[in-house]
Amino acid sequence: MSDPYKALGVSRTATDEEIKDAYRKLAKKYHPDQYAESPLKELADEKMKEINEAYDTITAQRRSGSKGGYSAGYNPGAGAYGSSGFGDVRSLIMSGRFADAEQILNGVPADRRNAEWYFLKGSVLYRRGWLEEAKDHFSRACQMDPGNPEYSAALNQAMNQRGGMYGGYNPGRSAGGECNTCDMCSGLLMADCCCECMGGDLIPCC
Amino acid sequence: MFGYVRPYKPELLVKEYGQYKAVYCQLCRVLGDEYGVLARFALSYDCAFYAMLALSVTGGRVEEQKRRCVCNPLKACTYLPSPGEAYKKAAALCVLLTYHKLRDDCEDESFFASLGSRLLLPAVSPKARRAARQYPGMASIVEKAMEGQRQAEEEGAGVDRCAEPTANLLRELFGELAGCDNKQRPALESFGYFLGRWVYLMDAADDLAEDMRSGSFNPFIKRLGLEGKKELTQEERRAADKACNEALNATAARLVLAANLIEMGQFGPIIENVAQKGLAEVQREILFLHIREKPKRELK
Repeated sequence: MSDPYKALGVSRTATDEEIKDAYRKLAKKYHPDQYAESPLKELADEKMKEINEAYDTITAQRRSGSKGGYSAGYNPGAGAYGSSGFGDVRSLIMSGRFADAEQILNGVPADRRNAEWYFLKGSVLYRRGWLEEAKDHFSRACQMDPGNPEYSAALNQAMNQRGGMYGGYNPGRSAGGECNTCDMCSGLLMADCCCECMGGDLIPCC
Repeated sequence: MFGYVRPYKPELLVKEYGQYKAVYCQLCRVLGDEYGVLARFALSYDCAFYAMLALSVTGGRVEEQKRRCVCNPLKACTYLPSPGEAYKKAAALCVLLTYHKLRDDCEDESFFASLGSRLLLPAVSPKARRAARQYPGMASIVEKAMEGQRQAEEEGAGVDRCAEPTANLLRELFGELAGCDNKQRPALESFGYFLGRWVYLMDAADDLAEDMRSGSFNPFIKRLGLEGKKELTQEERRAADKACNEALNATAARLVLAANLIEMGQFGPIIENVAQKGLAEVQREILFLHIREKPKRELK
């Protein structure tokens, strides 16, 4: 699946309603029940899967787009950003062909590596699990194009994961036994009590 | 592997802790039966975790059994025997990893520093050959990972590239557990990849100070711009630990996601505990409490 819109046979500007219609029509066409015990069953299943995925991708994209796109960084969709200079790479990433995407990216000469290049390379690295270099690439993309919501969403997500929000250890999380503001106040009050016992006073108002 | 993969005990149910211990004891017993009494020293938390995952994923219930402890005849231990391959595979893994660790030590360190390893190696080699005969696939996976690691370290590669061989080692081992279950495979593979990566990074972070002193290779040295330094000030040390912790957190986050997708049988809660809390606790102990260094400080 290179392009979800193509798979459903609709244009990028199609409304949600049109897309739903197109999906329904195709689903009827490929429905596995018709192909039961046919040698073409596998192919039909394959097709069915393809359009299901395409439909899911488009709805997910549109939903995240309208919500402000926090997760957009991880679904670099071919259609989501019209001015993409790396449309082919984006569609490769979408279809899960990371090695091909990376090969194209690596072939881009150094002087043509813009913010988007760093972002896409970061995405490929992230999926592969090379999280350190992925973070470096996302930061670079954000430096080069600070206002881009797609890049900063990706960097944000990476930074949140590094902070220990989703796994691992977060040293800032107080886990008892540590000193917080409440402890400090009650400590002062106790010191005040002790002083008063001995005739002095630490906090004059109480 | 290095004993970093273990559950966070305070959050385990008592019965879960009992099960975990029983798997550990059973693995110890199988190691002894398969490779001789001395092989029991190769036992590690990591391999116990592997056995547990293997038992969990391959399904089927295993029943507890009370018997005498193999090391201490006065102690009664609970065992969790299983007819399948899980324990045997985990035992083979223990032996193979120990063998490669010793061999690495002999190659990397000076004659005297590696004296212990040199003495042990001849005893371990035949066991490793036996394990390799039984599980040639596993042996070649381990061999490949060790070779890859040596290569990456010689090249002085970056953190990600250095972590790759260990990550792939666990990816392949865990993927293999899926057997014919192709639905489980991607989740297991991803879990293995990130767990392996986490183990490698944890080990590197743990050894950072030591490696700087001795001038050994450590991927974090270049990453954190600490080349040429011997000692770290308190400030620098804290910053380095924090940076390492971040790298580990990023890996743990992905590992938890993968673990969520694995369909687990019997030991699901224990494996979840390891992924979500056990690893975090190890990060805390090593990077923030420095429990490994305390004895040294007391000596001074």
